[in-house]
Amino acid sequence: MILEAKGIKKSYGNRFNRTEVLKGIDLDIEKGEFVSIMGASGSGKTTLLNVLSSIDRVSSGHIFIEGEDITAMKDKKLANFRKNDLGFIFQQYNLLDTLTVKENILLPLSIRNMKKGEVERQFETVANELGIHELGGKYPNEISGGQQQRTSAARAFVHQPKIIFADEPTGALDSKSASGLLNKLKQMNINSRSTIVMVTHDATAASYSSRVIFLKDGLVYSTLRKGERRQEEFYKEIMSTQSVLGGVGVES
Amino acid sequence: MSLNRIILKNFFRNIRNYGLYIFALIFSVSLYFSFVLMSKDESAAEELSSSTLMSTGFLVGSVLLVIIIVTFVMFANSIFLKRRNTELALFQLIGLNRNKVFRILLQENAIIYFGSLVIGILLGFLLSRILLMVLLRVMQVELSVGLTFSMEAVLQTAVLFVVIFVLLLVQNFIFLKRTKLIDMITLNRTNESDSRRLGVGTILMGIIGISMIAVGYYLSTALVDYIEWAIPLMFIVLGLVIIGTYITFKFSIAFILNMIRKSKKGHVNVTDVLSLTSIMFKMKSNAFLLTMISIVSALSVGLMSLSYITYYSTGSMVENSTPHDYIFEDAEGLSFYDDLLAREGIEHETFELPAMEYNVETKGAISADLELMDMDDSILMMMVVSDAHFESMDLGPNETVITGTSGVMQTFIDYSVNEPLTFTSGDYKHSLELADVQGQSILPSMVTFGSPTAIVDDSVYQEFSSNQSPEVEGEGVRTMYALDITGEDSMEIFNMMDQEENPYFDSQIENYTTQMQMFGMTMFVIAFVGFSFLLTSGCILYFKQVGESEDERGSYNVLRKLGFSQREITRGLSIKMTITFGIPLLIGLLHAYFAVNAGWFMFGTEMWTPMLIVMAVYTAFYSLFAILSLVYYKRVVRESLA
Repeated sequence: MILEAKGIKKSYGNRFNRTEVLKGIDLDIEKGEFVSIMGASGSGKTTLLNVLSSIDRVSSGHIFIEGEDITAMKDKKLANFRKNDLGFIFQQYNLLDTLTVKENILLPLSIRNMKKGEVERQFETVANELGIHELGGKYPNEISGGQQQRTSAARAFVHQPKIIFADEPTGALDSKSASGLLNKLKQMNINSRSTIVMVTHDATAASYSSRVIFLKDGLVYSTLRKGERRQEEFYKEIMSTQSVLGGVGVES
Repeated sequence: MSLNRIILKNFFRNIRNYGLYIFALIFSVSLYFSFVLMSKDESAAEELSSSTLMSTGFLVGSVLLVIIIVTFVMFANSIFLKRRNTELALFQLIGLNRNKVFRILLQENAIIYFGSLVIGILLGFLLSRILLMVLLRVMQVELSVGLTFSMEAVLQTAVLFVVIFVLLLVQNFIFLKRTKLIDMITLNRTNESDSRRLGVGTILMGIIGISMIAVGYYLSTALVDYIEWAIPLMFIVLGLVIIGTYITFKFSIAFILNMIRKSKKGHVNVTDVLSLTSIMFKMKSNAFLLTMISIVSALSVGLMSLSYITYYSTGSMVENSTPHDYIFEDAEGLSFYDDLLAREGIEHETFELPAMEYNVETKGAISADLELMDMDDSILMMMVVSDAHFESMDLGPNETVITGTSGVMQTFIDYSVNEPLTFTSGDYKHSLELADVQGQSILPSMVTFGSPTAIVDDSVYQEFSSNQSPEVEGEGVRTMYALDITGEDSMEIFNMMDQEENPYFDSQIENYTTQMQMFGMTMFVIAFVGFSFLLTSGCILYFKQVGESEDERGSYNVLRKLGFSQREITRGLSIKMTITFGIPLLIGLLHAYFAVNAGWFMFGTEMWTPMLIVMAVYTAFYSLFAILSLVYYKRVVRESLA
């Protein structure tokens, strides 16, 4: 088990006006899994991802990654942990405009002592796998949204983290770029055995994963496993669960 | 590819965004350095007789300057920290701990600071030469400006900026410590403007804000009439105006703009979208900053106006207190210098003018308001002279002319021409018609002690003289002994006359020079500090606009996609600039006007010309920042569709 969450609660606001977003969530994620978190707007899915990925602190509860409690970690240790074990992909790509694609991808490697050849090989591997090798010298504003998101994904994978957190990675992409990216993610999940946790509201995107966790009002509502089924079947089941959950098939 | 290299590259690619920040820093350094350098310049200090005054002036000025620079640099730093959130968050996400991020900021700041410090000191050196020439010019001191470079000044500047550097580091540290990672990632998505509905509270507060300022203004004009309450009143006025300004920015402006918006009933055009609606809410959230800028503008314009009024009026003030080139205490003094000048072969003309002290009733031609000053306002003291001493003047036996009405006291007295004026002495009363009033004095203050002087026909003068009441008779007549140099008086003549063993005299040229030096100095220091105020508040507004333009990039994109041309958008933005820059300026100028209006008479004899000159210059420089912002906006609009 790579990630284990126990009784996670998260609330915002002050003493008098408190909103509880997560009301006690228990979660286990196995190594090499590709997990999607789904739910209507306001169900707490992004908040859950933020606390799982150490970007935000929990109000109560514990999160263990490989047996280590990250909710109790100090800044320095947490930073070290992010450096070695975590990768991030955001909806808005979060690339630095001032750096080239290659420099953006290599950013996580720049803070550790690695041999130049090793760094170069890592870059070759990820960039080839994501099909952005020839874009290396370009700046983010010179390439398309899909290419930017693949750059962002490459940055998340380049240091071979244990878990990759993706927040609506396909949210700003057209369906073709989206399926391209998801295929790559899936491929990398299989090839490098890295664990991926992805938040999405898109059933198609979720159908690429091996497990979908549905949230409703800050609690886990249900879990679907793909098992040995084909992607189309899994997609249909996600759709039907979503329609039960939200009343309609499409999230408003 | 080490992290340091990435950071350096990132920094240099970003340098365009730092442009004005660096410019402002360099400018602050050079301003401060030149200021310090001038205060250390011995050759200049020796030459100025008022050197102690100069050093105190410089001290006060430098303290103010330091406060401005520190506030400004810290403000600029906080804006840049916010703008770089994404970057800082990303660094943390890839596993840099806060200490490392802090170190990155430290490196960047060090580059900016060290660079700015060196460039600023070099520029400041040049600037100080120019400024010193200007200073000596306004003080009317003839002195060639040398090129002395003071290591002490360099050190002092360096120390200040190292202290500021440390302050910035503390600020950065606190920022990093307090801002959670999650906030940093989402911070750049939050908008300053909270678009809540404007409720009854806003309307009420809107009215209160404007009324407070109006009451403050009214009280400031009434200040003269309640002179015994002047100090507490002044604080009430200050409080009312400052709080009123804040409330105005917080509520009134939004309230007024909203009324304009409502009157359009939903038919908003592109201009309104870009100006009205966006400013409405922004003003509200920036109320504190805008209040600061208005008050600071008011303060600097007010002070600069007052000091310029003093400087501007020096000539006429000196002429009033010393209407002749040289004035002596007695007949011996006059004859001593008469002989001395004759021996030196300097052509001159002597004057002996007896003046009689007389009382005047404050009715008819004169209305005085002296009760508040604890003075008997039914009777006014006046000097009376005969028209026989003035070739150009021949008055009828029923006429009189009053001169020397421009002193401070005279603000409380009104004269109306063609009304009767009654002179009294004991039981004796005599009425004459007031034919004319002249501001200029004919008698020195040594004789009049600030009273105005009435000129009467010689026959009337004789009659007055014989009817003067016995109690005052001995003291009642004072004579002016004076002397005018034919042609121009000069410092050589003054120095020749001004020997220790010679009798006392009062010299126009000496008074003029010392006052010019004193007021020139004050004006220079105030102008220097005022200019720094201007520069910093302009920069702050500019930075704000740069930030807003980036936030609104999306709106321009939408507008252009909807088919609005760049020109239409730019027109809307011009209006926005006019309002954002104009309102604080307008309020500042209004404040300054009422402040100057309340007390200018204590500083000089002419209000409008010097005040308007100061305001025009201030507005011109201030507008530069609005134009700069507009240029920046234009670029953003142009690039928004790309």
